[in-house]
Amino acid sequence: MAIARNTHYTGGLVDLDTGRVSREIFVSDAVYEEEQERVFTRAWLFVGHESQIPRPGDFFMSCMGEESVILCRGRDGRVHVFLNSCRHRGMKVCRYDEGNATVFTCPYHGWSYATDGTLVGVPFDREAYRGKLDRSELGLVEVAQIAIYKGTVWATWDPAAPPFLEYLGGFKRYLDLGLDAWDGREGGTEVLGGIQKWIIPCNWKFPAENFSGDSYHNISHRSVDLVGIGPSGSGRRDMRERQVGRRLQVVFPDRGHQTTVYVLPGEEPAPPAYQQSPVVSDYFRRCEESRRRRLGAWARVTGAPGEIFPNTALHPRQPRTIAVWHPRGAHRTEVWRWYLVDADAPTEVKDFLRQYYIRYSGPAGLTEQDDMENWNYAHAASRGTIARRYPYSYEQGLGFEVEDYEWDGLRFAGTVMDITEAKSSEHNLRNFYRRWAQFMDARSWDDLATWRRRDGRPS
Amino acid sequence: MINVRTLEPGTRVALADGSTVEIVSNPKDGIWVFARYLTAPHDASLVGTEDMVFAPDIVEMREHA
Repeated sequence: MAIARNTHYTGGLVDLDTGRVSREIFVSDAVYEEEQERVFTRAWLFVGHESQIPRPGDFFMSCMGEESVILCRGRDGRVHVFLNSCRHRGMKVCRYDEGNATVFTCPYHGWSYATDGTLVGVPFDREAYRGKLDRSELGLVEVAQIAIYKGTVWATWDPAAPPFLEYLGGFKRYLDLGLDAWDGREGGTEVLGGIQKWIIPCNWKFPAENFSGDSYHNISHRSVDLVGIGPSGSGRRDMRERQVGRRLQVVFPDRGHQTTVYVLPGEEPAPPAYQQSPVVSDYFRRCEESRRRRLGAWARVTGAPGEIFPNTALHPRQPRTIAVWHPRGAHRTEVWRWYLVDADAPTEVKDFLRQYYIRYSGPAGLTEQDDMENWNYAHAASRGTIARRYPYSYEQGLGFEVEDYEWDGLRFAGTVMDITEAKSSEHNLRNFYRRWAQFMDARSWDDLATWRRRDGRPS
Repeated sequence: MINVRTLEPGTRVALADGSTVEIVSNPKDGIWVFARYLTAPHDASLVGTEDMVFAPDIVEMREHA
């Protein structure tokens, strides 16, 4: 079925009153083309981490949707994000994954740009252009807004998008769970090792949905749990908090961000972990004690997978990672995964975590392979003419969400589903598609920043 | 033909327009070098200034500084 441009998504292909979402939004090339414009040019997107570009001239080649971008630190120390495309004929001016550069030179005709994006070198400028070329008009295209938050670098092409922290809204404290040091100090994390990159044959929304908080698929990981994938060599990653805590799905409907969290009872000590390595176990025990002193009741909240709309996944617990689902056509996704550790953790702790992270996540990670198999086959089996006629079901827990959930002295903003007894819900997934449909229908940020109307602020 | 990627700072080279420049820094992209004019017969005001020099304009090695 061909999807016409400007299809009405909310209540149409994404019908959350009934919990049905059309397969077309995953497999239609027309929908894909539209979402590049409607979602990826307007949302804030994760670009990289400051620890990847510590020195002037350092750069990291990243992506925003399909666009290749250069994250770099200029000679003046300022961080920039540029479209990686020469203003003359569009050739990539940078073809290295990372490095340090004085200039970015296009290999096609030789135009050259400084690390602040200025066009500084034009072959035959005096002779061929007679000195009349206005270089000031032809610098590298720079993003409309950039934000650096606790080391992470975010950017948007849309000058009308709200500032990044406003875009995050109440989700900020859940992002903090992944970016603050394990002992609760603000910031303090760095990227461990290189960035893992690989391509999978499915639409980018499959992994985005999964990391939004699909707890229903845990049966897929039964085999890796049986062999002891957890950091302590037994069970799964989230260990004791799963048995003694409340398990919540927390969403922010007007922002499109969502996560799962565990909340330990007030009297429950931090669960022991990493018992296979006394050094690592002791490090995390001391961190947990400091965290409790520093954060009080909030220290009882531990993170689980979450998603910052549209395509950035956060895993604040273990393995502590950020993943980005880069769209590469309706039927392909390029996954980039960053691994985070406390910058001042002992070397033995970092080495232990590096081993654990790559055993669990990434293209060789046992658990991630389970996920990829599901996404890849689900996508392939949804592309046929007959298959497309039957929407997916997202009905778990529909109508059972609560506002401002409270438990054992802790209150949670947003809309919450307590799945401790229910075991599963698709509350988080519905939130992701609700926001996706809003982006697809909206004409501009005037339509998307609904909280500004509610708060009485001009949009 | 000179491989500009090998030109170290301090190296002096002659340009096609008759100027002589000294390499200041080299981004090693094989296309540009940063250089200071030592002589510039066609435009004396360039002497002492720094500019980016395009690889095909470099025609001859001079002595090292």
